[in-house]
Amino acid sequence: MGEQLPAGWEARWDQQNQAYIYTEQSTGQQQWEVPTQPSFPSQDQSSAPPPPAAAPSGKAGRRQYPTAQLQSMYTAQPGSFEYQNQGQQPQQPQHQQQQPAYGDASLSSAAPSFFTPGMAGGDAGAGAQGGAAYPQQPMQQPQGGQFQQYGGGAPVDQMSNQFNQMNMAGGAGGYTGGAPGAGGFEQKQLHAINTINLIGMQPDVRGLEAPPPPYLIPQSASVTQSPYNQPDPSYQRCTLTTMPATQSLLNKSKLPLALVMAPYRSVREADGDMPVPVVEDNVIARCRRCRAYINPFVTFIEGGNRWKCCLCGLSNEVPQLFDWDQAEGKPADRWARKELNHSVVEFIAPTEYMVRPPQPPVYAFVIDVSQAAVQSGMVATAAQTILENLGNLPNADNRTKVAFIGVSTSLHFFSLPPGATEASMLVVSDLTDVFLPKPVDLLVNLTESRTAIESFLARLPEMFSDSFTVGNALGSALQAAHQLIGKIGGKIIALTASLPTLGEGALKARDDPKLLGTSKESSLLTSASSFYKSFAIECSKAQVAVDMFLFSATYTDVASLSCLPRYTAGQTYLYPGFNASRPEDAIKFGTEFGKVLSQPLGLEAVIRVRASRGIRMSAFHGNFFIRSTDLLALPVVPLDQSYVIELQLEDDLKGPVVVLQTAILHTTCYGERRIRVITQAMPVTDTVGELYGSADQVAIATYLANKAVEKSMNGSLDDARNVVTNALSSMLSVYKNQVTSSAGASAQLAIPDNLKLLPLLACGLVKHVGLREGASIPPDLRSYAQCLLTTLPSQSLISYIHPRFYSLHNMPPDAGTIGEHGVILPPTLNLTSERLERHGLFLIEDSQNIFLWVGHEAVPRLVQDVFDLPSYADLVGGKFTLPVLDNPFNQRVNAIVAKTRELRRGVYRPHLYVVKSDAEPALRSWALSLLIEDRMDGMGSYAQYLTTVKGKVNG
Amino acid sequence: MGGEGWLFLFSVLMAAVLLFTMVFFIIMFSDLECDYINPIDLCNKLNQFVLPEMIAHAFLTLCFLLSGQWLAFLLNAPLVGYNVNKIMSKNHMYDATEIFRTLSGHKKESFIKLGFYLVSFFYYLYRMILALISGTS
Repeated sequence: MGEQLPAGWEARWDQQNQAYIYTEQSTGQQQWEVPTQPSFPSQDQSSAPPPPAAAPSGKAGRRQYPTAQLQSMYTAQPGSFEYQNQGQQPQQPQHQQQQPAYGDASLSSAAPSFFTPGMAGGDAGAGAQGGAAYPQQPMQQPQGGQFQQYGGGAPVDQMSNQFNQMNMAGGAGGYTGGAPGAGGFEQKQLHAINTINLIGMQPDVRGLEAPPPPYLIPQSASVTQSPYNQPDPSYQRCTLTTMPATQSLLNKSKLPLALVMAPYRSVREADGDMPVPVVEDNVIARCRRCRAYINPFVTFIEGGNRWKCCLCGLSNEVPQLFDWDQAEGKPADRWARKELNHSVVEFIAPTEYMVRPPQPPVYAFVIDVSQAAVQSGMVATAAQTILENLGNLPNADNRTKVAFIGVSTSLHFFSLPPGATEASMLVVSDLTDVFLPKPVDLLVNLTESRTAIESFLARLPEMFSDSFTVGNALGSALQAAHQLIGKIGGKIIALTASLPTLGEGALKARDDPKLLGTSKESSLLTSASSFYKSFAIECSKAQVAVDMFLFSATYTDVASLSCLPRYTAGQTYLYPGFNASRPEDAIKFGTEFGKVLSQPLGLEAVIRVRASRGIRMSAFHGNFFIRSTDLLALPVVPLDQSYVIELQLEDDLKGPVVVLQTAILHTTCYGERRIRVITQAMPVTDTVGELYGSADQVAIATYLANKAVEKSMNGSLDDARNVVTNALSSMLSVYKNQVTSSAGASAQLAIPDNLKLLPLLACGLVKHVGLREGASIPPDLRSYAQCLLTTLPSQSLISYIHPRFYSLHNMPPDAGTIGEHGVILPPTLNLTSERLERHGLFLIEDSQNIFLWVGHEAVPRLVQDVFDLPSYADLVGGKFTLPVLDNPFNQRVNAIVAKTRELRRGVYRPHLYVVKSDAEPALRSWALSLLIEDRMDGMGSYAQYLTTVKGKVNG
Repeated sequence: MGGEGWLFLFSVLMAAVLLFTMVFFIIMFSDLECDYINPIDLCNKLNQFVLPEMIAHAFLTLCFLLSGQWLAFLLNAPLVGYNVNKIMSKNHMYDATEIFRTLSGHKKESFIKLGFYLVSFFYYLYRMILALISGTS
């Protein structure tokens, strides 16, 4: 280390870490990386042009922060809890005094002054550098872009915006330590500073929205250094943003290594999502050996004539069309190619990628028409929704085909010949050997038979309105649907309101309440009949996906029925106690069903993940069929479904950077074969500390949710909860012993800053309805919760595990109004009933349900303003539709509810429940069970959970 | 050649057949790992052989029991018990949806069975020769 340091820097040997630490004398900023730039006084840095080395960098330049501000943020951050508490606690007394006003928070005046230093710092720093380094791309670089989506797309109120920003500024700054142009691995610095003690601290729940730690790849790794060379975390994120060099290091660290991905994610313009760039010209450059697609991380060699694959190192020829535009007949700029600039691209695949000509989208509706279904109004609502959405079905080239099958004790087929105005019904009552009563006109072209379909759907409810048949031959109907569409492939949408009791795949009501809460309960969570697995395999082979919409008021055996969607890449939807005469139920089902119908489909898809040599995909979680060791088959890719893929290291990783590439080959619903490629590059490390500094708590929580659900099916629910808790405690124990190097028992529970909410998420997971201890959860609800835990993308999953909690009666004045990024949400609160006030109005939402909690001392004016009812006593708990009234408070509450409903990707439209704090005990305890920091029957509070974990760490 | 000789000659042949079945299973599993066969075909193929293998083995054990070959019977009884247990809990068939998760377990089981059949093959051979020698002398 005898080299000359730039001016203004000082090197000091750090005994504990056995490395030199470099201190910038003017600011006191410290870093491990050898400084390459002379020291700048911090105020100059924001105005001066960035150091030359930083200029071409996509990321490093972005992440640097004026160092003095960095320091101030570090000092400010631990204190932020106090700010938050100070900011909110004073409200309570204040509000008891000014009761009738119930309204406006005391935050507004105080908050900005608390956060001014952080905000000013963040803004000034980001702004100045954004301007200097990338004047033309103000906020779409990975860092800012992510923030924009997380903080901005989901607007929280100003205070929490600032808070986020501060968090991000602190986090990002910590990673690079302001090392200009180094682009190296400086995470160590973060650990040294950002070890946090969990015991006795209230978790800061806003951190859940923060982006994952950045991928600190050297700038030279990317050929174009485009700001889009890493995927948005909503497409793909890894539990560790730094790859361990060896499997033994990974084992030693006890951290999970897995990819969490939602490759077919919806694009929401409102959130600032960028549409996936499409490479139109049929030039697909792939490595000859490992078949990887060309991406921003390849290197060009031999004067640019060949490219070296970043996965296997083979040199390949560069296609001539990279430099020659055939359409225009002039030289082309290869550096402008989308596949070299974007981590997420779509290629239009030529015929070599097709087994057969692109198939049309095909829908087969299997509708339960037994008495239970007709009486609940499901048939009428479903028919109405399909009728309304006929125009929205993906049908760009008029090839879409549909078929309808009604099922009760016999199968009802509907012949819908083109041009006819009436449908004719054909009944088949042979359930054992299913046959189609007619070779044609059962599966019909949507456009050609539109009139017949419309008149059929309009008449469907009344056709069976006097049906008294009890019994449901769902299995046979599914087989019939499979016969109908199996030659083409497509989607079967099954809507059933009763347990299938006849024909193939008949099920029994096996929900013995005596089993609940025992170790045998997990048998209720696995399939009772092998039919649903073997039929799923048949479907997958024939490129048929099955979506299940389940409505039963009694036991429907979700565990067995959800097998079909699980292995055919469909989705299960459950509407317990559905009754269409309640408008809330009808609207919820209608909206979600409508969204499912109008979703664009990716048909006949396969997903394969390729990675640098040494990395192997070892296990897969999600809804698909594993067709070979690394190939996932999805007959239809639904939008916004998440998959988790565990990784293993077979060999030591040699290079400084590894690349993971997900390719999803699919046929779009308008007849184009496409390949969506998502490429992600990660640095490699050989220290445990860096692994911990780069761990992504949201991805780890998603991984743990999948792992726990898998365990609950193969073992018991107890085992499943232990998977979560043991994973957490072994991580913390390794962190304590090897990173903070404190031996022996301690009263503290140390955790790196970037994982500080993982214990809370783990606590939420073990208390989640899918895994919770207790004998009171119906197996259907548990199974459904487990389906959601394994399929929801991280964005929704995190709030499903850790609900959001707002206080509405004293929200800041701007909450519920339209801000810069849409409706401003109130600040999120910690999930503890300490926050509940007897006179207050609170909102708890877990992305599937919204609860409006009304305190029993709520003043009549509050009740009048929000619910249009004279007093609290007149209020009835349960599903509710908020009236829209002519007063600002009502409109703000309505705006917040509406915003909450469309906050996340996915089809779900949460129910709104009104919960009275002193009535309807079942509903009340359901809402309270979402407050996961509290004790609930049999399960300890968050603090107790931490004590358990601490015991394991010390013990 | 007495009854014992015939019995062990039959056992040697059966053990050889079972041995080959296991080799076949192991080859199929490694084919699956190398992506030469898809899990659906694999399971359809292997599931045809699961029950015959178990029945053949159980039949052999029954023969030992009836002919009073206690040592040979005791050698085989645990495996029969294991197989019966598997059938009772209905997880004796290979499941294409789970095969990749359980593959390492299946392979291990097949290897252990292979070793077991190999040992018993030589044991039967030895007993057969003993019986032949004692029959001729």
